[in-house]
Amino acid sequence: MHDNDTNSPAISVRGLSKTWAGGVEAVKGIDFDVATGEVFGLLGPNGAGKSTTVGMLTTTVRPTSGSARLHGRDVAIDAIAARADSAVVFQDPVVDRALTGRRNFDIHARLWGVSDDDASRRIEELADSFDLADLLDRPVATYSGGQRRRLEIARALVSEPRVLFLDEPTVGLDPRIRYELIDVIAGLRARFGATVLLTTHYLDEAERLCDRVAIMHAGRIVALDRPATLLAALGDQMLELRVDTDPIAALARLRSRGVAGDDSFAVGATLTIPVRGRSVDAVLTAAREIGLAATATSTRPPTLDDVYLRLTGDTLAA
Amino acid sequence: MSASTATLAPATVRRERPIVTRTLSAFTTLTRRRLALSVRTPRELLVPLLTPILFALVIAPALASIGPTIPGLDYMSFAAIGTVALLIPLNCMFAGIGVILDRETGARRDLLAAPVSRPLIVLANLAVALMITAVQVVVLVLAAMLRGADLNTSASGIAWFLGAAVLLGITMYGVAETLANRFPTVEQYVGALPAIAIVPFFFAGSLFPITALPWALTGFARLLPLTHALALMRYGLLDHNASGLHDIWGMSNATTMAALSLTVVAAYAATFSAMALRTFRKSVES
Repeated sequence: MHDNDTNSPAISVRGLSKTWAGGVEAVKGIDFDVATGEVFGLLGPNGAGKSTTVGMLTTTVRPTSGSARLHGRDVAIDAIAARADSAVVFQDPVVDRALTGRRNFDIHARLWGVSDDDASRRIEELADSFDLADLLDRPVATYSGGQRRRLEIARALVSEPRVLFLDEPTVGLDPRIRYELIDVIAGLRARFGATVLLTTHYLDEAERLCDRVAIMHAGRIVALDRPATLLAALGDQMLELRVDTDPIAALARLRSRGVAGDDSFAVGATLTIPVRGRSVDAVLTAAREIGLAATATSTRPPTLDDVYLRLTGDTLAA
Repeated sequence: MSASTATLAPATVRRERPIVTRTLSAFTTLTRRRLALSVRTPRELLVPLLTPILFALVIAPALASIGPTIPGLDYMSFAAIGTVALLIPLNCMFAGIGVILDRETGARRDLLAAPVSRPLIVLANLAVALMITAVQVVVLVLAAMLRGADLNTSASGIAWFLGAAVLLGITMYGVAETLANRFPTVEQYVGALPAIAIVPFFFAGSLFPITALPWALTGFARLLPLTHALALMRYGLLDHNASGLHDIWGMSNATTMAALSLTVVAAYAATFSAMALRTFRKSVES
């Protein structure tokens, strides 16, 4: 442990930007801090800048401007020390398939400077923890997708990283394995005490796992707060109306009648309206009064999808 | 899954190790990893050996039987050393395929996230390419000797041979790593492989002296690192009159010519190694 930086945030990002050759601005001056022990989510669709941000934090992408520090260490200036404190689970499989699971563990442990005795002990413990004990001496090429993903997460933990980056850890997995892995990730902080930065475009995953989330859109952070706080801004009930007319015009008419607020939005043929103090019946009555025929209606609690769409659906929302 | 119940022991205090120890340990780990991957890949071990073995054991004796002569030299032995000049480029270029596969489907990104100096990944790959090449050269030379090649071995001769072979290996691995970091797919890399690894073999004096070529091609051959390395290898094990070196330099002092050729190959090795490290760095730190 590094006693001189115990008071600094685990991750500190200031004005971080990345412009690729050719002028594409992937990340546009983002700022955030992640406290030690926090599980922090970077949310957004493909192309939002999440993976580029993780690339800069893990020193494989050179920032164009701004700074990023892991436990006080600047990732651009003191890259090796920053990497010593962290580990990454990548979006795509990053393993030596021809080698056994044990060999993959062992290589990671040695590169992170774990002593032989500690490495042997931790490999056995992690293999037990992640249900890999029976697979450990088989080539990784024989593992299923879920087993390989568990191996990658367990491998990242063998160096006891203070900061763990999980870049879209469940993408491409079938639903059963995905839910299993969400359970594993949910237990990481309690069991290993690491600070976790998770990127995902599965908003339910972020809602379940993260203390705070930053929603990224087109290279910027458009919202950053606790999931519950972001959801509370939408009230406790969302009304969905499926319409067969122009949804943008329909939403504008509902707004003009005062039954839909600025936080209502339209995606495709569906209008989504936070109900708040109004009654659902009042909204539906108002819709009928302006001649709006809803082909289907439903109500549900708000989700982070709603938060995201409200914040970023510029071209869809009226 | 029992993941929710097990608990690891508390994190241990990290002790900083001296930088030399850390670097050596990382280099050893990366080298052992690359070696473990290579020995599980028959393509890397056997395929580069096939053509040179064919030349040394079948084509060279067949050519020798119909009469080509090299003044003062046994053609069979002349061609046997010539096949080493095919084996080294082929093997090093095949090693480049492993670089691309490592990047596309292997664990390279985890290595890049490790707290070690990243050029060590290239150096470890180079070390393994040289190790495998060394084993293959020994196999090839022994096979040629069993087939009838007559090689003279002395300490200084072996030193010239090894110096030339190692520097040629470093040069060719530098080319391989450079191209592997530039080509996005294995298919594109394999498409370029024959032009880089095989074509120079026909110009470098492998099967006949370079002076047998038209004068313009002789001049071109003198620029190739392979020509210098091959003349040195023959000077070490076969051609004590240094006729191959004389064809390049036109001088009379064999040691001087050998030193000059070794310098040329060393310069190529340094240049392509620097290019390899530069393209690697650009490819991993975008």
